[in-house]
Amino acid sequence: MGAAVSAQSGVHVSSGPGGQAGQGDRSDAGTHAGQDVRNRRDAHASAGAHQNADMRRTFAATLRNPAWLLVPALLFLGMFYVLPLVDLLRLSVASDAGQSSATSVGLPWLAHYARVFAVPLYWESLLRTFGIAAAVAALCAMFGYPTALLVHRAQGRWRLALMLAIVLPYFISVLIRTYSWMVLLGRNGPINKLLQGLGLIDEPLALIFNRASVLISISAVLLPLMVLTVLGSLSRLDPLIPRAAAASGAGPLAAFWRVVFPQTLPGLLAGLLLVFISALGFFITPSLLGGPGDQMFAMHITQQADFLASGGFLQALAAVLLAVTLAVVVLAGRFLGVEFIWGGQRAAPTLGHAGAQSARWTSAVSARLADVIGWPVLRVIGRIPALPAGLVSTALAAFALLTLLLPIAIGALISFSNSVYMRFPPPSYSLRWYEKFLSDPIWLASLLTSVQVAALATLISVLLGTTAALGLVRSTLRGKSAWMTFLVSPLIVPGVVLGLSLYSLFLRADLVGGVWGLAAAHAIGGIPLVLVIVAAGLQSVDRLQEQAAAVHGASTLRVFWFVTLPAIRPSVAAAAFFAFLHSFDDLVFAMFLSGSRMTTLPLRLWGNVNYKLDPVPAVVATFEVGLILVGLFLARAAWSARSRP
Amino acid sequence: MKNQYAVSPQWHPLKTWLSVAVALSALCASGSAWSQAKEVVTQDPGGTYGENLRRLVYDPFAKETGIKVLTVQEARGGPRIKAQVEAKRTEWDLAFIFDQEVSQLDAYLSDIDYKKLSPQAQATVASLPKEAVRPKGVALQVIGVALVYNKEAFPSKNYPKTWADFWNVKDFPGKRCLPQWSRFVFESALLADGVAPDKLYPVDFDRALRKIEEIKPHVVKWWQTNSQAPQLLLDGEAAACLSYTGPVARLKKEDADAPLELTWDQAFTYYDFFSIPKNAPHPEAALQLLSYRLDAQRAARVAEATSVALPSPRVYDAADPKLRDYWTNSPEVEKKAIKWNADFWGAKAPDGTTNEEFAQQKLNQLLAK
Repeated sequence: MGAAVSAQSGVHVSSGPGGQAGQGDRSDAGTHAGQDVRNRRDAHASAGAHQNADMRRTFAATLRNPAWLLVPALLFLGMFYVLPLVDLLRLSVASDAGQSSATSVGLPWLAHYARVFAVPLYWESLLRTFGIAAAVAALCAMFGYPTALLVHRAQGRWRLALMLAIVLPYFISVLIRTYSWMVLLGRNGPINKLLQGLGLIDEPLALIFNRASVLISISAVLLPLMVLTVLGSLSRLDPLIPRAAAASGAGPLAAFWRVVFPQTLPGLLAGLLLVFISALGFFITPSLLGGPGDQMFAMHITQQADFLASGGFLQALAAVLLAVTLAVVVLAGRFLGVEFIWGGQRAAPTLGHAGAQSARWTSAVSARLADVIGWPVLRVIGRIPALPAGLVSTALAAFALLTLLLPIAIGALISFSNSVYMRFPPPSYSLRWYEKFLSDPIWLASLLTSVQVAALATLISVLLGTTAALGLVRSTLRGKSAWMTFLVSPLIVPGVVLGLSLYSLFLRADLVGGVWGLAAAHAIGGIPLVLVIVAAGLQSVDRLQEQAAAVHGASTLRVFWFVTLPAIRPSVAAAAFFAFLHSFDDLVFAMFLSGSRMTTLPLRLWGNVNYKLDPVPAVVATFEVGLILVGLFLARAAWSARSRP
Repeated sequence: MKNQYAVSPQWHPLKTWLSVAVALSALCASGSAWSQAKEVVTQDPGGTYGENLRRLVYDPFAKETGIKVLTVQEARGGPRIKAQVEAKRTEWDLAFIFDQEVSQLDAYLSDIDYKKLSPQAQATVASLPKEAVRPKGVALQVIGVALVYNKEAFPSKNYPKTWADFWNVKDFPGKRCLPQWSRFVFESALLADGVAPDKLYPVDFDRALRKIEEIKPHVVKWWQTNSQAPQLLLDGEAAACLSYTGPVARLKKEDADAPLELTWDQAFTYYDFFSIPKNAPHPEAALQLLSYRLDAQRAARVAEATSVALPSPRVYDAADPKLRDYWTNSPEVEKKAIKWNADFWGAKAPDGTTNEEFAQQKLNQLLAK
């Protein structure tokens, strides 16, 4: 019993005196003669002892069940997420006097929900939002996967440079990145000017304020998320396996499709899930770059948040978004087999005689299909040399990197502009805006506060998210999909609605205006990010190594620290990075929870952007990028100095 | 039970946890105890505007009265005030609220005792228009919304001057931009359709929507952030926009050659109110700060720095004539601009919500078509 449980729980194998001893032969070596008698006597005695030992073992084994690792994250989310969520739902069913639609439905508490479906506007907007999010996820996969491949194959300095190119755009405010797209695709932008100069068009093309610009700009923002998640899977790949495939006669493409790609599925699916969910909540980018037909659901939520009178409708909108998104995620998960993320298996085909028959039949049919069509096609594909595919892949990756780097370059140029408003190209150059920024202590103070809050939020998210990922992946909990869905749902609830409910809660707990409160609010979204990324990364951990370490006497904690953790290091690093950014970039929670003694950088940028058009946001962005580059340079110098004998 | 073959780890638990603890406490170093010394908490716009307020109002106030001014960056003040009063933890002394919200938040605000203000402040209050003074709020800002155009988009120098011109894409060619809101857009549509300014309210939603549908193909962007409209004009994406006048005023102050221009004919003005929430922690200090901000001379200095004006002619007169172009409290604006009717937009609509929400939904539906 104990062995069965601990074999499944997997992280450790119980060792030491208290563990397995009871399982084995209690009766030590004695003479054969009295053995039988003693065995029978011992059997009776030890039956009772066995029972006690069994119970103790069961209790001890239960305590060692990795599912307990989920508890810290659940407690945290229970306090900071479930409570405001309950408040949100309570508000959404609060009956409002005078709602005429209530009488038509007959149930006053459904009044707000009735209003959501009374006009097709919101329902259509929801569908449109899902369509955009799915398109963004597909675009990110199409461009992000080749980029991850490129980074994976790169070595040394090139690898560092590529990683930088992927990571740096995140340190630029989304406002600057969006403005860069306006600059690039605008009527007087370089693309239109080039096309007109080449004589291909007479009138400038309307490249922005339509669906295309929305898709491009959101994908550009979320691309690094996909790249880093896939990279986490790729980096754990055993390089000998594709070589074995090649040695067995598979062409390079076939080797990729049948060997490499399936092993990166957890990372890819994790990336798709995260990108899809993140894209749903986008508001700033579509509001700046979209046309009237590109209204995303978050826009309705944000507009509604300004209307004080109809409290409840806002919450109903958020509840509908949450419910529908969860339904879609669960359905898509069943279809795509998102259980891959945490290593679950697809549900077995239906049991029973008829089910077994049909299962055999379908597998027979698919075997036939494979023989007739599948394998021959694969052999043909396999003969295609790697070069064209490699070129295509590199081209996609290069395009993706270009879209990531251009905003940085444009932002840097604008930051040195002499003009009082953002203009591209700048009419003349000067350092005046840098002087303005650097001479203002409040900018630097807000930068420091943002870093402080983000560091705290990252700490909480990584600790709770990693333990939860371990608990989810390594335990035999039932209904893992349900747990996973619950733990990911904080990313779906719109911040502006959760923020209001959180604000009421924090007021009573005196947490408003402090770094801890804001960090906790950020960690609500950070934990799902860490969970999904690390769970996908745990797939590639070699369990045999862990078991080997345990067999040699390592305790659970030591196995984790010395074997598991180094194996998931890329995933944890990526997860920590995104948790940091989720906090550093956050505007909505900061708007609600910052106080008189604390303001974050995005909040300060927002206050400025609504007031003046000057290039200071570009200065902030370029300054941040510069800081990181300098920090990296120093770190590398220090590292190589240390490793020199 | 130490295994004799165990490799002693280089990882010293105690050291690690100690350094983690030290790092954590460094991270939390900012949390200082909330001092009960004399202070007042006010909502503040943040950014450069907030910096100017600190330099011209809060720091001199602290020096003069010994009361420290703490600012909270404004955002969605109304819902937060409601939450605070309901939680019985009012944290703000002076709060900024939208015009339409003053009546909606009535139960959550306290009365302002105007008699307790300083003599200079009372003089300013006496000069304010009557809509700007309410029992539970006083308008410290008057904001302008107008037809703004890029001169370079009209090389023939035939500039649009009225909303009918704005809607007339034949004689005034070029793209337009409008906010994706019901307020101001519906009124400008009606004015373009020939409705007289004094017959604007109550707004005929259907007539306005028909007129908006006319201009829809020519609108390059329905903007949602304040700074986007002037940026679109400067980038050449649009020739004429319905836009806030504040960014234009600030732009022209710093660069008089900027090609933007606006017209005050058929422009709109509205007030931003400041109130004292119920059970504010320092109500007396709030009144003192209010007096400070209402002082005409000081308000003039603030307006000179920020181009956001107090709606009093006394403030306009006290200001430097070279710096008060495009101010919304000038006699010209008083004469030409239309006062936006917040009471209409905050009133109940046929479907039980407010007119503003009702019209917003209709506009969103029209745009999504």
